[in-house]
Formats: sequence, C-alpha cells, structure tokens
Amino acid sequence: MSPPRSASSASELPHDSAHTHVAGTSEFIDDRARLAGELEVVVLFSPHAHARIKSIRTEQALAIPGVVAVYCAKDFAHNLWGSIIKDQPLLAEQEVQFVGEAVAIIAAETREAAYRGREAVAVEYEVLPAILSIDEARAARSFIGARRTIERGDATAAFASAPHTLAGQLVLRGADHFYLESQASIVYPHEDGQLEVHSSSQHPTETQHVVAHGLGLPDHDVVCVVKRMGGGFGGKESQAAPFAAYAALVAHRLRRPARIVLNKDDDMIMTGKRNPFQNHYRVAFDDAGRLLALEVDFFSDGGAYADLSTSIMERAMLHADNAYFIPHVKVAGQVCRTNFHPHTAFRGFGGPKGVATIEVILERIAAFLKQDALDLRKLNCYTAEGGRDVTHYDQKLENNCLPQLFAELERSSDYRRRRREIVRSNDQARVTGAPLRGLSLTAVKFGISFTTRFLNQANALVLVHRDGTLQVGTGATEMGQGVNARIAELVARELGLPRSTVRILPTATDRNANTSPTAASSGTDLNGAAALLAARKLKVRLSQLAVALAATPEERWASNTAGLGTQAELGAAGRSDPLDDPNEGADWATGIATYHGVRFADGRVHLAGLPGSPAGPGKRTRRGSISFAALVNEAYLNRISLSEYAHYSIPGLAFDKLAGKGPAFLYFTQGTAVSEVSVDQDSGTVKVLRTDILMDLGRPVNEPLDLGQVSGAFIQGMGWVTTEKLFYDRKGALLSHAPSTYKIPNVQDTPRDFRIRLLGNEENRANVRGTKAAGEPPLLLALSVWTAIGDAVAQSPERDGAWPQLEVPATQEECLRALAPARFWAWERATP
Amino acid sequence: MRSTILFSLNGRAVELGADRAGMMLAEYLREQQRLVGTKVVCDEGDCGACTVLKAAPYHASRSKRAPRFLPVNSCIISVAQLDGSSIVTVDALRSGAPPTDAPVGAGSTDALTPVQRAMVDCHASQCGFCTPGFVMALTGLVEKKLRTAPGYPRVISAKDAKNATTGNLCRCTGYQPIIDAAVAIPLDQCQSVEQSLESAPVRRRLALAIQQPVLLDGPDFRFFAPTQLAQLGAFLEKHPSARILAGATDLGVVHNKRKQRLIAAVSLHLIPELHVLEERVHKGTRRLRVGARVTLSEVRDAVKQSVPELASFLDLFASPQIKNQGTLVGNLANASPIGDTSPFLLIAGTTVEVYSPMRAPRQAARRSIPIEQFFLGYRVTALAAGEVITAVEFDLPSARDVVRLQKVSQRIDLDISTVCAAIRATPSRAGRARLGRTVTGVRIAFGGVAATPLRFPRTEHALEGRLIAHALDPELLEIFQSEMTPMGDLRGSSAFRRVAAENLLRKYFRELALEDRP
Ligand SMILES: Cc1cc2nc3c(=O)[nH]c(=O)nc-3n(C[C@H](O)[C@H](O)[C@H](O)COP(=O)(O)OP(=O)(O)OC[C@H]3O[C@@H](n4cnc5c(N)ncnc54)[C@H](O)[C@@H]3O)c2cc1C
Ligand code: FES
Ligand code: FES
Repeated sequence: MSPPRSASSASELPHDSAHTHVAGTSEFIDDRARLAGELEVVVLFSPHAHARIKSIRTEQALAIPGVVAVYCAKDFAHNLWGSIIKDQPLLAEQEVQFVGEAVAIIAAETREAAYRGREAVAVEYEVLPAILSIDEARAARSFIGARRTIERGDATAAFASAPHTLAGQLVLRGADHFYLESQASIVYPHEDGQLEVHSSSQHPTETQHVVAHGLGLPDHDVVCVVKRMGGGFGGKESQAAPFAAYAALVAHRLRRPARIVLNKDDDMIMTGKRNPFQNHYRVAFDDAGRLLALEVDFFSDGGAYADLSTSIMERAMLHADNAYFIPHVKVAGQVCRTNFHPHTAFRGFGGPKGVATIEVILERIAAFLKQDALDLRKLNCYTAEGGRDVTHYDQKLENNCLPQLFAELERSSDYRRRRREIVRSNDQARVTGAPLRGLSLTAVKFGISFTTRFLNQANALVLVHRDGTLQVGTGATEMGQGVNARIAELVARELGLPRSTVRILPTATDRNANTSPTAASSGTDLNGAAALLAARKLKVRLSQLAVALAATPEERWASNTAGLGTQAELGAAGRSDPLDDPNEGADWATGIATYHGVRFADGRVHLAGLPGSPAGPGKRTRRGSISFAALVNEAYLNRISLSEYAHYSIPGLAFDKLAGKGPAFLYFTQGTAVSEVSVDQDSGTVKVLRTDILMDLGRPVNEPLDLGQVSGAFIQGMGWVTTEKLFYDRKGALLSHAPSTYKIPNVQDTPRDFRIRLLGNEENRANVRGTKAAGEPPLLLALSVWTAIGDAVAQSPERDGAWPQLEVPATQEECLRALAPARFWAWERATP
Repeated sequence: MRSTILFSLNGRAVELGADRAGMMLAEYLREQQRLVGTKVVCDEGDCGACTVLKAAPYHASRSKRAPRFLPVNSCIISVAQLDGSSIVTVDALRSGAPPTDAPVGAGSTDALTPVQRAMVDCHASQCGFCTPGFVMALTGLVEKKLRTAPGYPRVISAKDAKNATTGNLCRCTGYQPIIDAAVAIPLDQCQSVEQSLESAPVRRRLALAIQQPVLLDGPDFRFFAPTQLAQLGAFLEKHPSARILAGATDLGVVHNKRKQRLIAAVSLHLIPELHVLEERVHKGTRRLRVGARVTLSEVRDAVKQSVPELASFLDLFASPQIKNQGTLVGNLANASPIGDTSPFLLIAGTTVEVYSPMRAPRQAARRSIPIEQFFLGYRVTALAAGEVITAVEFDLPSARDVVRLQKVSQRIDLDISTVCAAIRATPSRAGRARLGRTVTGVRIAFGGVAATPLRFPRTEHALEGRLIAHALDPELLEIFQSEMTPMGDLRGSSAFRRVAAENLLRKYFRELALEDRP
C-alpha cells in the first residue's frame, strides 16, 4: 500500500453536466417546455394518521374552472404496489394509514387551478386510533416482516462470564432526504396506448413497472426516461414511482400530457424518511476494554407500508460490528408498522443505525474504563492477526486497511496533542462557562453490494458512431453523484479516447431494461462494469479489424474502394470466435488486455503495419496508427457491428439470508474521521471546529468526484446527527416540512477546518478498475461529530465524565437537556 | 399616474399590467419568460435556488462603494414590487447578454463567466439544482468586490464566500467545493453586470418612470405605489384591506404558502423620504433614524461602526438575500414574537413614527409611538387600520453601555430564533473595593418567550444598582422566570426556552463579572 496522498493519476475532469449546471441550462423535469394541452396534477392527501374514508365528493372540485378530472383508487387497474411486498395502495381505498397518504389526484389546466381543485374535494373521514411510536407498535405487535437474527458464537454464555457488561438504548430519529428537486414526473401519451414517462427517479425500471401495472398495461407500452435528478439520496429509489403513476393515470385516461411536480411542503409531508430506530444493546468486555460479546435488538419504524424497510433492517444488522471484531454476537431486527409515511432508503440504508450503536458503545466503555475511546477502537479493530478479521456473518475481510486508517489519521490529525489541549480547555470552561470541546475518532466499514442478490446485475449498451464518437446507455441514473462522468471515463480510457467523445444517454427502459436502482453506492460499480464489458467486446472486434487492416495494402481498404464497385471486405475480421478474447477472466484492476498488440491511445489505434509504420526489416515493432474514427468507419464499411450490449453480475455473493451467514458483500469501503466540536453550555449550540477524514476509495476513476461524494455525504450525515429534526405533532402530522423549519446544514456549518484525504490503495482487485464505491460510506463518518458532542457534554460539571444519553440528532435542545437535565425536569414537571 | 409597472430584465425593458404583476418573480420568469435557469425549491426564501440580482431604484446608502445589484430571492418577490428595478438572472450570465439559443458544445466552458468557470473547475456542482442560485449569490459577491476601494486587496476569502452563500442550500456538495470555487474566482477577469447586462436607455426610462406613481387596477390584483405619502389616503379608503408591502419577505411567504393571497397591496418603495438613514443627536443622545424602506443590509452596514454588536447580530439574521430585500420596519411591523430586531428596539429607546393617511389632511397626520406601547398582543400592534410606519428611531448605545444581543436557533445561520435576547446595562465607572462594579439602566427584552417580544420590567427594576458579581440570586431568577410565558413548538419546548433564556441572562452577567476581575 502506498502512503496517503491527496492527488493521484485519476482524472480531474468535471461532472459531465457541470457547464450546463452553472449556466442554468441543465434541464430538470419542471424545466421542460409545456406542450399544448398539458395538464397539471396535484395530489390530495390524508390529514389523518389513521382514518376510514367515509366518502369522497368531487363535484365541487370539478366545477372549478380549469379542473379537468379527479381520480381515486378505483381508477387504477391495480392499486397495490411495493418494492419488496406489494402492500401499498397508489391511492388510499377504505382507509388512510398516514398523514400525507395520497387519496385522490386532481388534473387541471394550470397548477393554480389544480390546487384550488384540491381544496374543493370533500373527503369525509372517521378518525381511528393511530400507532405513533415504535413502543406503541411493539405493544400492539404491529410489525412488517418477521424478526430476524444473525448470530455468531454463544453470546449468552459470554455475558455470563464477562468481567464487565453495559446495557442501554439508543434512539435514532429519521431525516428527510431534502433533495432540492422534489418528486416530479411528466408523462406523454403516444399512439396506441403507449406512454413515455419522464421521472426524477433512481429506479426507472421500477417506475416503468409500477406505472404499467397500475394502469393495467403491458410493460412494453411504457417507457421510463430519466435524464437527471436534482438529488435523490435514496428518496427516489422506490418512492418516485407512485408520483409517475399519478401523472400516467391522467395522461392515459385523458390522452393529454400530464405533469406532476410536488412543492417542497407536500413532498416532505407525503414521502418517507430515513427509518427511525430504537436499539437496545448489551455489551460484554474485559478490563482492557476488549469486546467479548454484543447483543443488539434493533427496532425500526417502517411507517405504514413495507417499502424497503426490511432490507434496511438487514443492512443495520450486518453493520452492527462496523470496524470491530466481536467474538460473540447476537443481533436481532424487527421492523414495526406505524402510522407514519412509509420510511425508505436514505444514503447509508440501515448501515448508520448499526454503526452508531457500536460506536456509542465504545464511547461508553471508554468513559466507564476512563480510557481514551480511540485506544479502545484500535484495540478492537478488525485485524488479520489472530484471525480477528471475520465478521459476525462469516465474511472474511480481504485487503483490510482499518488498522492503517486508524493509525494514519491519529497521526495526521495530531489527535493526542489536541486531546491534551481539549482536556485543559475544558478544565477552564467548567469554571468560566465557555463552550466545552469534544473530540472523537470513528470509523466506517461499509459493505458494497445489494444484500438482495438479484439486484447485483446491470446491463449497458455502447454505440459507436462513424465519426468516432460514442453513446453509452446504462441503467445508472445521474443524480449529481457523477456516475455518467465515471462511466464515460471508464469507457473512454479503455478505448484511448478523450472523455468528450463519450456521451452518456439519459437512462431509458427501452434501451436498458430490467435494471436495478441506482442505489447502494453501486451505480458505477455495476453499470461501469457492464459498460466496460461492452466496450471490451468492441475493442476486441476493432482490434481484429486493425490486425487485418495492417496486413492489407491501404489502397485496398474499404474506405478507398467503397462505392467504386471493387469493395474489398476483410471477411473474417470482427467475426472471430469470441473465445479468442484475451480478456476472458481478466482482472478488473488492470483493465482490458490488448489484443494482438493493438494499442488504443490518444484517439488513435496503434499497430505495426498500419500507415505510418516504418518500412523495412527490423523495424516491425515500431507501430503505425490510424485514427479511431477512421478505424470505426472502416469497420462499418466492412459490415462489422459497432454496437454492443453487455450484462454484468457480481460474482461470488453467497450470503444466505435465512442463516444470516456468508459473504454478503463484494468488498468493503473503509474510512476514519476525527471531529472536534464545541458545545455552548448556555444554549446547547454545536459548532464543528475541525474534521479530518481519511478514506480508502481504492483507485478512483475521477478523484474530485469522489472527494465531492465524501464532503457531501459527510455534511449530509452531520445534518442528520445535529440539526435535522423532524417534528411531528401528537397526531402524527409532520410540522417541519420546509427548510424554514427543517434545518439541513448550511454553508456556515461546514467544519471550520475540513480536511479530506484518500489512502492510496492499489490493492482492491474485486471491483471495476480497482475503484471503490464512495456514495454512502462517508455519511457514516459523520457519527464522529455526534460522538464528539457526547464527548464534550460528558465533560460538563454536572456529568463529570459520564457519557450522556443523547439521541440522534443531538439538536441544540437535546444537548442543553443533557447539560442541565435537572433544570429541564423541573420545568417539565411544573408545566406538563 | 402610470397604469403599468416597468422594470429591466437582463437589460431589456419589461412593462406589465395587473394581470401579470401579482405573480411572484420566479414564477413569472419560469412560466412567462421561460427563463428556467432560476429554480424554485422552497418558495419561502429559505434555500436560495431562486436567487437573482436586483438593483433597486433607491438606496439608503450614500456610499459609491455599495454595489447596486444585490442577490434576492425571486420566489417571494412579487413582480409589482420590481417597478423601477433592474433584474439579472442566471440565464443571461453565460453570454453576458440576453440569453440566446446558441448551443454550447460538449464540455465547452468558453462562454461562461469567471464565476461559472470557477464553479466548474472546483467541482462545485453535483446535481445542479442549487447551482444557479449559488452562481447568482457569488456573482453578487463579485459585484461587491469589484467596488473594493483602491488600495485594499481585491480578494475573496473563505469567510466572504460563506457569508455570501449563507442564503443558499446545497444538499450534494457539502459546500466545501463551493467555498473553494468562490475563493478561486479571478476578480481581475470579472466584469460587472452593470456593464454587461444593463442598458443605458432602459435605465433612463426607469429613472423617469419612478417619478410617477403607479396604479394597477385588475380584477384579481390591485397595486398602488405612490411617490408621496399624501397620495396614500385615496387608495386605502377604497381598499381598506390593502396590505402595506415593504420587502415582502414575510408577506411573500404568506402569499406562497397559500394561506392568504395578495389581492390588494401598497408599496412604499417610490417614496424617497422613506429611504432615509441618518444619525442625529437628540437631547444629548446619538440616535439612528431608519426609514420604512431601509433594508436590513443597509442598517447592518450603517451600524457597523456605531453598534458593532447590532451589526454582528444582524449577520445572523436570515440571509443576504432576505436582508437585501427585507426591512427593519417590516420586521417590527410584522410583530412576530420571534422577530429578531424587536428585542433590540425594545431596549434602545425606540420611537415608531407613524403616518395616518385617513386623518390627513384634517388632523395631524403624523404621530409617534414609543416602542413600549407598540406591541399589544400576538401579532397585534398599536397601528390603527391604514396607518403606516414611516421610520423608527433608536438610541445608539454610548461607549459605557454594555449591549449584548444573542440569538439561539436550531441552526446558527439562516434560521428563525427559538429564543433571542437583548440586554443592556451601564456598569458603574469604578468597582467598589473587592466587590466589583454595579449596574444601572438595566434593560432586558427577549423574543420567543411570550406572545409578543417581551420587556422584563420587574427583573430590570430588581437588578437596578446591584453588584454585577451578585446580580443573579435565585430570587431574581424567579422574578425573571415569572415574567415570561414561553410556549413549546417545533423550534423548542417551553422548558428549553426557559432554560436557554435564563442562561443568556446569566451569561450577560457572567461576562460582565469576568471583565471585573483584574
Ligand atoms: C428565509 C427567511 C428568513 C428569515 N429570517 C429571519 C430572521 O432570522 N429573523 C427575523 O426576525 N425575521 C426573519 N425573517 C422574517 C422577515 O424577513 C423579516 O421579518 C423582515 O424584516 C420583514 O421585512 P419586510 O420588509 O420583508 O416586510 P414585509 O413582508 O413587506 O412586511 C411585513 C409586515 O409588516 C407590514 N409592514 C411593512 N412595512 C410597513 C409599514 N411601513 N407600515 C406598516 N406596516 C408595514 C406588512 O404589511 C406586513 O404585515 C425571515 C424571512 C424569511 C423568508
Ligand atoms: S425557492 Fe427557496 S429561496 Fe426561493
Ligand atoms: S449540487 Fe445538488 S443541491 Fe447542490
């Protein structure tokens, strides 16, 4: 492994839309020009968490000028949908199960009229009792799916004999994705009942299927196209589909284009969030702080419908170990059904919930043993020594850099010196009332692959045009993460072309069908690999042609004879046995092998014998070359296919869901972060003073794009653990449904000193080109901010080193409460 | 009297009547002009995606160094309010001219401005939805920097970058790349939008137009912008429910969120007298007089030297976009219990100057209300129907006064207060031996702890003349707590407000006591 670095040979090219983004010319759904006759669609949703619908009266709405139609559940051919379990109605039937559940849709000539129509639809409800917490759900045994467990060793016995044990509960609240572009879709009706759906969706295939199923159409009559999203973060993985279905219903029924663009308030009220979790844990450890056994009972709030919650729970359970080896483990998980919006994927999926639990446990043990938590983390870190590198689900860690990540960051962040200084500063702060400071270093080990095995596949289409430019279509959707740029770069590099020759096409289900969602950080891994496979096939074919051309006098090449009646085809070229492919079984890390010494570089194809090769004996190794475009043209004239389609599936995944055992992931993305915070003792206000991040992202294709994922994910995670508070009233209605009340991080909240570095890791051979997925893992590093807050609060005069009970998020109120619990209780007792 | 409004859009004159003028600018740009570069996310001024630059017809500042074009949120500005203004949107920046349809080749950055190029080079956009807003906010920063006085370094610091983009949310980048981009903007290559996107003939037309009042009289939207206070009466008599628009940063939100539509509005922006911002000495006290149309940004710049505490407090008020548009008087007239400037005005001997158009000319049309009598109840003020505030005037604290303004909010920047405190006292000149100094002239006001911004007369009285070091005994804190009646809501529980408010009071005296120590 090479030493850490902050620059590499990776490309520095910007995002493929950067220049149109800054010019304001990038087109999002609602930027599309309105077509004649286009209708606006607005959703009427439930104001109650649980109620019976007694009647829906639409006459008054329909009487409003501009209102064209109002549709209800019965207007869909099939009203149920769901990514894992089909349990969610597109439009509520007899009952509504959460505040924000869609009840009816209104189509009108203008948005204004549609909103007025919505106000005029009269729905009569009979309010029913609602389940509004995990505790209530557990008491009522209101669950989604079964309780699952993953076990290793004998935790019960280990607890019985352990020197120390600690138990506790961790409450993690939800968070809104707050993608800037709210859910949006436009549907154009075409002849013969066909629909063209444009959606801001991470999962065009599912959107296509939900639309087709909902309307009773065969899949082949629905095409879903995704040009880009104004952010997704998991919130448009499953939950984009119903909104497309609403617009599709209108377009289908009325044969007019239909547009649905939610406003931010409606979006936040209607759509699901990060699942809230309530985790009960028990941990056993020895005098040195070595972990002996862990038991975690995870309970999540799935909301009213299943959505992806069971998979999210699975990932939480698989991340209960995080970076640490624990000999005896028993984790159980149960998703609860409540009367909230159906919670859903959000960057990190269940991972952060598992990781937060073990990280807070380590802090508590450190406080208990009066040790520095970093020492405990290093002590328990996965390592090959002594076989301490197998997870609780029996996956062995390959190429584990965690020990190095800890050691290197400890050094480069000057951890020990700063710790001493913070201890001194807090001694003073306890007297003067100045803000307390906290410091914490946490890690992430994030499993890359969908835990649902069949999703680990992708396909790609590569088209080469006669001017030598390429179009690439895959199932990956662009939501800002730069998947287009990365795939373009992978393909261009293989063919020795500048990236600008590769245009990534909008994701469309008539180009790439049966695709997986762009999720689980896998967009580039899966789709980039498929695109590379296709490029590889083209490269082989073109190489064969180049070989043939090199052996043919130039005047006999097709381009010089075409149309002259003396066309000379190089019959065999490009038709050879595919088994001749030298890349069969090639190593992803090294890229595509050359075929017969043909080299693709600088937009040209180089081979001895091609024009420009020096003549004469002894010089045959010197190559001549022709431009890529010329070779492509020659291929066309020789009737050689210039298009390729390839399919890729991740090898070697053998996780047994029932047993909870086996390799669940292709590899792990790992990293460490250390954050320093201050907590104002008067107001509970938190400031992040400095954060250092060190990550192993393998060999990035495009380093700035990866660094952008790291800073973006970290800040998003920081919002979740600090200021982002979803405030529901007692009847289950979300009151913080706009940025005025829901506070995501602002530019001023970025750590005052923010340093991100990548570890140069050339060893990741598992993945395409030796890269590692970067989308989600850095979000989990933001837990270092949360544990640093705990570290600061623990230093308050009242706590005197004892670890505080803190929820996620540690809002200002949560912090002040932890600093002065008695004063809060006094007032709360006085005014119930 | 004009019957259409006139403004400049990317250098072109636009004249509109009542049928369009009631729209919000963002909606107008996107739907009527198809300038879809300007994005709408929140429709409430809180995300900055809709940022455009606006040069208003009047400015309170006399400084030539103040930029004319300032970032504002187009989602909460009605088109009518733009009468006399010039607007620049992202769509026009690229070519430095009104937007053309000339295609830009793949990856081409040729026609981009230096701001845009820096954003590309530093990877400052990911999904791109926030990006036009950031580009405009940073273009606003460049406008300011281009006017840096000679002899001062013309550079953009990370702090400048953060302050300029406080009103813009990005969910993708984590901001760091945007800060890096801002710092990398080559100022020497930048051109002011005044050169590239303003036309002299249009400016002349605007200057002439604003001499005349405007009256729009449509079936759904009535709008009046007088050039003199005396013209107000007739309109208000006919439309007694007409709302007075200042910056409309409060009213625009109310309008958008569909609780109330603006159907009749009066804008005072064409009355030059209401742009007054001046210091004067009254009975030996320096006072600042702030006209009803003076923006919060202008106030902030004006008090930078005289009341630095207020200036830095205003730095935490909303965002540059909101402060460039919203007014101090609007904040006061809005009478929100969590309006940030109210606690300060309550402790600063403020008088509220009022013009009563209905009384004119029969009775004296002007009166003045002491701030103590201004807030009557939850969002109820002492203003009679139809009355308008023309200015407020408040004390500039003397060197001996210790004024502390503190804001507690869920997020430090761009957030509404949960609790907000203004405390002022005058410590005695010399401390009594070993006991330290005493305080007199104690004034305490809080926001967020009652239905109105609240003074604490009993606490003040009890503190008068006390030793700083022993000012806060349990008895006093009990008085303090008994004067407030905080509610719990989504910004914080009632207990939180009580604990935090008490802590802010303690902090004031704790810090004074620290100064006492040798
Ligand atoms: C994103 C955002 C952030 C904000 N952050 C803050 C914050 O941090 N702190 C804070 O205190 N406020 C905040 N606000 C609220 C608002 O910006 C302020 O209250 C602002 O000062 C209002 O000024 P305005 O000129 O826009 O008022 P307007 O909206 O024009 O008017 C407000 C009210 O005052 C009345 N009014 C205005 N002028 C007069 C007059 N001359 N005579 C009589 N009545 C008049 C209007 O009729 C209206 O009822 C925020 C608002 C937004 C949208
Ligand atoms: S759209 Fe959010 S500030 Fe205007
Ligand atoms: S780039 Fe996506 S919100 Fe800023």
